[in-house]
Amino acid sequence: MAASQAGAPFPGQSADTAQQHRLAVAGVSKTFGSARVLRDIGLRIAPGELHGLVGQNGCGKSTLVKILTGVYTPDPGGAISVDGRSLSLPVRPLEARAAGVSIVHQNLGLVDDRSVWENVRLGRYKTAGRLTRRIDGKAERRAVAEVLARLGVTIDVNTRVGELSAEDRAAVAVARAIQDHKPGGGLIIFDESTRAMGKQARLRFFGLVQSVVDTGVSILLISHQLEEVVEVTDRVTVLRDGQVVETGIPTKDVDEAGLTRLMLGRHLVTHTRGDSHAQDKPVAGIRGLAVRSVCDFDLDLKKGEIVGLTGIVGSGAVAVAQAVGGARQARRGVLLVADNAKDGTPREIRLGKKRDSSEEFIKAGVAFVAERRLEQGLAAEMTVSQNLTLPRIRSRGHWLRAGGGWQAAETAAMISKLDIRPPDPHQIVGTLSGGNQQKVLLGKWLAGEPTLLVLHEPTQAVDVGARHDIINAIREAARDGCGVIISSVDAADLAVLCDRVLVFSDGKVVTELGGELTQDEIIEATFGTPGEAGRAR
Amino acid sequence: MTDAEQDANHATVTRAPGHSRRSRAFGRQSLSARFAILVVWAALIVVYSFTEPALFPHTGTYQTIFGSQQPLVFMTMALMCTIVVGEFVDLSVPAVFGFAATILPVLVVNHNVGVWPASLVAIVAAVLVGLVQGLLVVKLNVNTIVVTLGMSTLLEGVSLWMSNESTISGLPSSFGSIATRDVGGLPVDFYYGLALVLIFAYLLWATPLGRHMRFVGASREVSRLSGVRVDRIRLGAFVSAGLLSGLGGVIAAAALGGYDATTADSFLLPTFAAVFLSTAILEPGRFNPLGTLLGIYFLATGILGLQLLGLQAWVSQVFYGGILVIAVTISTLLRRRSS
Repeated sequence: MAASQAGAPFPGQSADTAQQHRLAVAGVSKTFGSARVLRDIGLRIAPGELHGLVGQNGCGKSTLVKILTGVYTPDPGGAISVDGRSLSLPVRPLEARAAGVSIVHQNLGLVDDRSVWENVRLGRYKTAGRLTRRIDGKAERRAVAEVLARLGVTIDVNTRVGELSAEDRAAVAVARAIQDHKPGGGLIIFDESTRAMGKQARLRFFGLVQSVVDTGVSILLISHQLEEVVEVTDRVTVLRDGQVVETGIPTKDVDEAGLTRLMLGRHLVTHTRGDSHAQDKPVAGIRGLAVRSVCDFDLDLKKGEIVGLTGIVGSGAVAVAQAVGGARQARRGVLLVADNAKDGTPREIRLGKKRDSSEEFIKAGVAFVAERRLEQGLAAEMTVSQNLTLPRIRSRGHWLRAGGGWQAAETAAMISKLDIRPPDPHQIVGTLSGGNQQKVLLGKWLAGEPTLLVLHEPTQAVDVGARHDIINAIREAARDGCGVIISSVDAADLAVLCDRVLVFSDGKVVTELGGELTQDEIIEATFGTPGEAGRAR
Repeated sequence: MTDAEQDANHATVTRAPGHSRRSRAFGRQSLSARFAILVVWAALIVVYSFTEPALFPHTGTYQTIFGSQQPLVFMTMALMCTIVVGEFVDLSVPAVFGFAATILPVLVVNHNVGVWPASLVAIVAAVLVGLVQGLLVVKLNVNTIVVTLGMSTLLEGVSLWMSNESTISGLPSSFGSIATRDVGGLPVDFYYGLALVLIFAYLLWATPLGRHMRFVGASREVSRLSGVRVDRIRLGAFVSAGLLSGLGGVIAAAALGGYDATTADSFLLPTFAAVFLSTAILEPGRFNPLGTLLGIYFLATGILGLQLLGLQAWVSQVFYGGILVIAVTISTLLRRRSS
C-alpha cells in the first residue's frame, strides 16, 4: 500500500478531456427562494493538482462546498463528475466517498475527546461479529496504522486526539480523508482547515499535504489566507457574487494583490470619490489602545472625516474597530467622543472595562455596524421596525409605553433614505435579502444620529445597488458632521469613501494613505509590504 | 406584535402600490394560523354539546373550565418570563409554586404565624429561589436544565419534609376569600390570572422592557451590542418567575385552605403544554401570554369533555402530552416557513 507506485501526477494538466479531470463541475447553480447564490459554476481540477478557491465572504464558496458534499441540492441543469464518472445530483455522500471525494472541515473536524483510530474510522466502523455488532477494535486499529504509515507519520492510534500536537492532528485529519482513496486517486477538499493553526503548524501541514499530492491525490483548498493560497496551490479559481470570475489561473502568474482585485472586482466604476466633508473640529480620539496584536494605538478623528482601517487577517485593524465600537473588550485604552450637548467637550470611555452591554458607547453617540449582520447586528425573527428602533427604545420611549409614533417615523425615514425593499416596517428581517438586511442594520444606527460611526465591512455580500445606497448613506452621515471609522478589506470601498486609510500589519500601522486614494494603491500597501516571507515558491 | 398595533402603524407609512395586495394575502394566510386552535376549540364545544347534551352545555361546566385553572395560569406566566428571554427549560416552576404553597399553611397551621406575614415569607422564599437559580444560570453559566431540575427536586423534597408528607389544611376561611370570593359567577382569582396575563401581554407588546426581553430571547449578542443589559434582563426573568410562582402558590393555598405538597409536580407538563401551545395561537411561531391563556382553557375544555364522556383521569395525560407534541410541531413548521 506504499505511496509511490502511483508516481507522478497525471501528465496532462493542459489536456482538456473530461476523462482526465479528477473533479469537473459544470453549470452548477443554486437558488434560495428568490436569491441566486451560485450561477453557472464551472471548475476543473486535474489529478495531482493543488487547486485554490478564493472569494470574499458571501461569494458562494461555502454553498459550493455544501453542494459538493451533498448538503444542498443544486438547481437542475448542472453536472459534477469525478474521474470522468458523473455523480448523481444531489450528491450522495456515500457515492462521493466511493468516488474518492473527502472533506476536511474547519479546524480539521476532529473530536478531541476520542482516540486517533476512533476519529479516523468515524462513520466507517466495521462490526466484528454478526451477532454482537461490536466494533472490531483490532481490525480498525490495524487499518488506521496502515493509513498513517502510508502518510509516513508515526502516531500511536490509541492516543486521544486532544493530546496531539497541531501537526499530528493535521496528519490524523488527512489520514481520515485519504483512507478510502484508491492509489493515485482521490480528492480532498480543505474547507478553511488551517484557520486555527499557527504559522509553524501551517508550514508543516502543507508539507504533509504536498506529500499526499505527490502520490496523485488532488486537493481543493478553500482559504481566506491569500498568502497561503499563493504559496502552495498550483492553480486558483476566484468566485465573486456567486459567479466564477477566473478559473484555473496558474498561481505563479498572480500575487495576493492580484487575487484581491479579482475577488473584489471593479464594480464601483460608477462611484467616484466625493469631496471630503472633514471639518477642522475634533469629533473623537483613541488613546493608548491595546487590543489583540495592537499595542499602543492613537487616532484623532475630525468632524465629518472618514478613516479606513485595513490589513490582512490578524493585522489588528478589525480588533481596533471592534474595541472602539464596544463589541470587544480591549486590554486598555480610552475613547474620547465629543459631547455635542456640552459644546464638544469630550466624553471619556475606558475601553479596557468589562461591560455587559454597549450601552455606555451608545449613550456617548458611538454606533457600531457589525460585520456578521445576523449574529451581531439584527435579530432575524423580529421586524424591520423593531430592529431599527432597538438601541433607542428605552431612551426615546416612556418605560410604560414605548410609543408607536417615533418608531414609525424613524423607520419610515430610514426606509426611504436607504431605499429598503419591500418598504414594509413590519417585514420580518430574516425574509429580506442580504443587501436590504445590511441597509436595515445601517439604518438602525444612522437613525440615532451618531457622533462616531464605526463600520465593519459595511458592504460585504450585498448587491451592487445596495452597495451604492450604503456608500451614499455613509457619505451623508459624514456630511452631517459624524466621524466615521471603516474597517474593511474592500479596497474599492475604502478608496471611494475615505479621507485617509491606515494600513495595519502585525498590530502596527505601517502605512497611512491620504489624498486621492485608489484601489490599487491600497491593495499594494496592504499586501506589497516588502520583506514579507514566502514570495518565492 | 398584535394586529392592532400593526394596523395603527401601517397607516402612518406610505407604501408602494401593488405591495399592499401581497401583504394582505400574507395577512389572510397568517390569520388562519392565528386562529386555527380557536376554531378547534369551538368545534370541541359543539361536538361535546351534541355528544353530552345532558352534562356539557351548562353554566357549571364553564364555571369549572374557567374557575379551576388559576394555578396553571400563574405557573405558565412564570415559565413565560424565562422562555421569552431565551431560557427554554425552567423546570422548577411547579416546584417553586408548591414550595410557596406549602410554606404558607405550614407556618400558619403548624407554627401559628399570622396569614399575612406567612404569605410574605412564602413569596419572599420563592423570589429568593428564583434569584439563586438566576445567579447560577446567568453569572456562573451553569446549564439551565441542571439548575432547575436539581432545584425543583430539592424544593419538592423540602416541601414534603415541611409538611410531613401530608396535606396541611386549616387556613382561615376569611383568608380564603381573597381567592374564592364570587365575582360574576367565577372566583376572584380567575380575574387575578386574567389581569396578570393582560399586564404581561401589555409589557411585551408596548413597553421598552418587553421589547428588550424579546430581543434578548431572539439574540443575546445583537441585544448586547444594541445597549441592552442582557445579563440583568435574564436575571430579572428568573427572579420574576420566582415571584409569580410564589404569588400563585399563596393564592392557590388560600383557595384550597391548605396544600398537598405531593401535587406540585403534576403541573409540570400542563405548564409546558400550554406555553408551547401559545406558539400556535394569536402570534404564530412566538410565545405569547394571551395565546397561553387561551391554550389553558382550550386544554381544560378538551379534558373536561373527555372526562364527561366517561373517560378516566389518564385521559388528561394523553391529552396534554399529545397536544404538547402536536403544538410544538406546528409552531416549528410555522417558524420554518416564515424564515
